[in-house]
Amino acid sequence: MIGRKAPPGRRRIPWGVYLVLLPTFAALAVFAYYPALSGMLHSLYEWRPGFASPFVGLENYVTMLGDDLWWASFRNIGIIFVWAVTLMWVFPLLAAELVMSLSSERLRFVFRTLLILPLAFPAVVNVLLWQFMYDPRDGVVNSLLRAVGLDGLASNWIGDPDTALTALMTVGFPWVASLPFLVFLSALQNVPAEIYQAAEVDGAGRLRRLWSIDLPMMLRDVKLLLVMAVIAVLQYGMQAHIMTKGGPDNATQVPVLRMLDAAFLDTDWGYAAALGTVLFVLTLVVSVGALLAGRKGGRNARA
Amino acid sequence: MLVREKARAAEPTAGPVAGRAAKVWMTRTRRTDLMAGAVLSVLAFAGLFPYLFMLAASVKDNEQFYESYWAPAWPIRLGNYAVAWEQVSPYLFTSFVVAGFAIVGTLALASAAAFVFARYRFPGRNLLFGLVAALLMVPAVTSLIPLFVLMRDLDILDTRLVLIIPHITGNTVFGIVIMRTYMAQIPEEIFEAARVDGAGGIRMFVSLMMPLARPVVGTVALVTVLGVWNDYFWPLLTVQTDEFRTIPAGLAFFANQNVQQWGPLFAGYTLASLPLLLMFTFLSKWFLAGIQGGIVSGK
Repeated sequence: MIGRKAPPGRRRIPWGVYLVLLPTFAALAVFAYYPALSGMLHSLYEWRPGFASPFVGLENYVTMLGDDLWWASFRNIGIIFVWAVTLMWVFPLLAAELVMSLSSERLRFVFRTLLILPLAFPAVVNVLLWQFMYDPRDGVVNSLLRAVGLDGLASNWIGDPDTALTALMTVGFPWVASLPFLVFLSALQNVPAEIYQAAEVDGAGRLRRLWSIDLPMMLRDVKLLLVMAVIAVLQYGMQAHIMTKGGPDNATQVPVLRMLDAAFLDTDWGYAAALGTVLFVLTLVVSVGALLAGRKGGRNARA
Repeated sequence: MLVREKARAAEPTAGPVAGRAAKVWMTRTRRTDLMAGAVLSVLAFAGLFPYLFMLAASVKDNEQFYESYWAPAWPIRLGNYAVAWEQVSPYLFTSFVVAGFAIVGTLALASAAAFVFARYRFPGRNLLFGLVAALLMVPAVTSLIPLFVLMRDLDILDTRLVLIIPHITGNTVFGIVIMRTYMAQIPEEIFEAARVDGAGGIRMFVSLMMPLARPVVGTVALVTVLGVWNDYFWPLLTVQTDEFRTIPAGLAFFANQNVQQWGPLFAGYTLASLPLLLMFTFLSKWFLAGIQGGIVSGK
């Protein structure tokens, strides 16, 4: 880091810096560190805000082990995760490859802009519009099916436990307006032109190029996206809350909604704090694990 | 077009291996363009379809909605927007207020701290910075419950303040991390010259660093606005007064109030989207940097 380099021997401590940092750390102490620590601490209590809260040890965590809804919610985000890193990456990858294979700079710009334009809309609008798309009577999906004579296929997509989760995951199709697309695209732009030329000389086809050049070049970014997908999926909740509230019949239950229900419906604040703590620990394990793996990988690559 | 392709073909970087006929390359290029363009058009249309439908339906009355479901209808009913504005404008106003105060608060707490971390050496620097960066690992959902209880104890539930505070703290953490990186990259010589001229730390921060750091300040501001426009659960849980709702929770409420009032419903969605659309149009570079903020901090 470029610091102010004082000659050794007569370095003075710039006391002013602590004064500068004081308000920042004071604010973070109250509104960031305290809540995080308070959540972990109170997960060991029967937390009744405003009243006496008896210490119960690990009881909340024991309750969690037997909480079928909690485990069902993990099954659901497991499915969402697999979907998020396969189908939801294939389309962005395809789009990025196609954009890069366009010959004119202007066409690339036009398509890139059109493809990412949905990102300019608030996420909540996207979800509400898809909620409308699935409307059993007036929604786009069923209207389209009826228009092409497939009336029999029309169904209550988010009201039916069998289709609700799939419908939820299909929100935003084809998912090109997304971070993965931006990442894939900039990764492809960074592949040196000489490598492609060399591949062409060797007679490598399009698929071979994708497999042997593009994907290895993206590996680092893909790892990062993978970690971000895990973290995002652990926090998944807004779409489910708007469209299904975790229903029908808990078919779209996710950990965040389970945690909120524990606090605000069952007023079991200690249990909610325990669930939040578990989500934190999982996030931490994934982040730190990725950090260590990345560091190790980087060292090997350099060696 | 032909000229351009020929010119490209002549370029060693973009063209094929030298020696191959330019004509073959040209037709192949055009065929690739056509096929790629066709697939990309389908993808772009599929992605934009819900929004196109929203725009078309936002100027229909219910009769027109059912009669010409797929096509735009005439005459257009701009009155839907007046109806929607009545209900959505308080959410927009609150969102602007929350975003504005959050940006000011974030910059106040983050920029000077980032400057200090980037350009001073002092005992505990790495430890303190590590403490800040560690907060990046705490997901918002973990703090949701205890933060709610804290706000309840402070008796500020159902105010605009309760919405502003978490955005300030969250973005301060993110802001310190990316601003520090940015500020550390600015050449030391610039500051050396100022120091020779007798400028102190405060002077250097205000008249040198802040102007130089404008791009990263813009990114932090954009991330803050995006955060306000995307944070759903916190306003949902902490405010009951309708006009204190920001866009996400407000719009979800609005949707429940306007079931099957298709025109006003979609007009409301459109109005709620306008601020981000405008930012995307005029600040697209910062906007995208804001969306990729997670990646920036991840690296």
